[in-house]
Amino acid sequence: MDDELLFAKYRETGDVAVRNQIVEKYLYIASVLAKKFTGRGVEYDDLFQVATLALIKGVDRFDETKGVKFSTFITPTVTGEIKNYFRDRSRLVHLPRKVAELKVRVKDAEKELTAENGQKPSAREIASRLGVTEEEVLSAYEAGGVVSLDSPAGEDGSFYDLIPSGGEDFERFENRDAVEAALKTLSESERALVRYRFGQELSQTETAKRMNVSQMYVSRLERKVLEKLKDYFGKGTA
Amino acid sequence: MKDLMRLTLAIDSDLMTTVRLTTGGLCSAAGLNLDDSEDCKVCVTESLLLLSHAGYTHAALYFGAENGIFVRVTGCGKPKPVSTASEDEISVALISALAEDATMEKREEGYEVSFRFHA
Repeated sequence: MDDELLFAKYRETGDVAVRNQIVEKYLYIASVLAKKFTGRGVEYDDLFQVATLALIKGVDRFDETKGVKFSTFITPTVTGEIKNYFRDRSRLVHLPRKVAELKVRVKDAEKELTAENGQKPSAREIASRLGVTEEEVLSAYEAGGVVSLDSPAGEDGSFYDLIPSGGEDFERFENRDAVEAALKTLSESERALVRYRFGQELSQTETAKRMNVSQMYVSRLERKVLEKLKDYFGKGTA
Repeated sequence: MKDLMRLTLAIDSDLMTTVRLTTGGLCSAAGLNLDDSEDCKVCVTESLLLLSHAGYTHAALYFGAENGIFVRVTGCGKPKPVSTASEDEISVALISALAEDATMEKREEGYEVSFRFHA
């Protein structure tokens, strides 16, 4: 069913199932936009949630008879909600502390990598070690002032108490490494499916459109890919 | 308008951090607050994405200061034939939502995106 008919049906019946169908179809926009605003001190998951709520509200407000495509209508709506969220949160987020924490972690990672490799690491290597972006590493370098691990950090004690053990970061790094290795065992079309379904979080129908195949084929291929990956990881952990 | 910087570069994901940091520095010099600087960075990367989808391998960036910052991103050279990516629509809508006076034009000298942020 094309968009206009779907919206008309939703307008007529108010059926939540139809609304959900529309939301699912356009969920990738919420995901794409949330990703574009990461790296500003708010987790992707939170942004995706804000974007998704804006998408749901947008479906109710959209008037399909005005001749504007839904994607064109919804992008500024979702963007506006994300910006409002940042504005509201900025009163709660203590950015300097965050930057200072990262600066300490960057320094530690730099020392560790220098000891491991016998040479100064690049920003990319530090970013990879810490699971942050290169830009965040470079910004942390730019942030002025030296922070002692013993300096007080709010009511939580010193910065030393705030530094994570690193276990979580290492696990994330290891997981990414494992996923990248597993993806190499897949064919090009299988990798495309993983990218669309699990990277961009498109529905099977949308994925089928992008791959120029039927939804049935996507469903079968997805089962096959998941089996393959399960086998791969099963062997790896045995 | 006061010229801040002209930059020609290959549209390569490895250079995106450099472009974003440069944009951030220039936004700061033009008196933008942190939020607007971040939005400007998004618009610059989206513009480069649009040019890349249009088949350009190189881009020329112009940054000017006048009550804020004006940015123009132009595709350089002859574009390779490519199919239009469906995400382009989102990039265009995103730039239009974040920046002021956003325009996207196909000109003889190349595809051009320009926008402005007021300080």
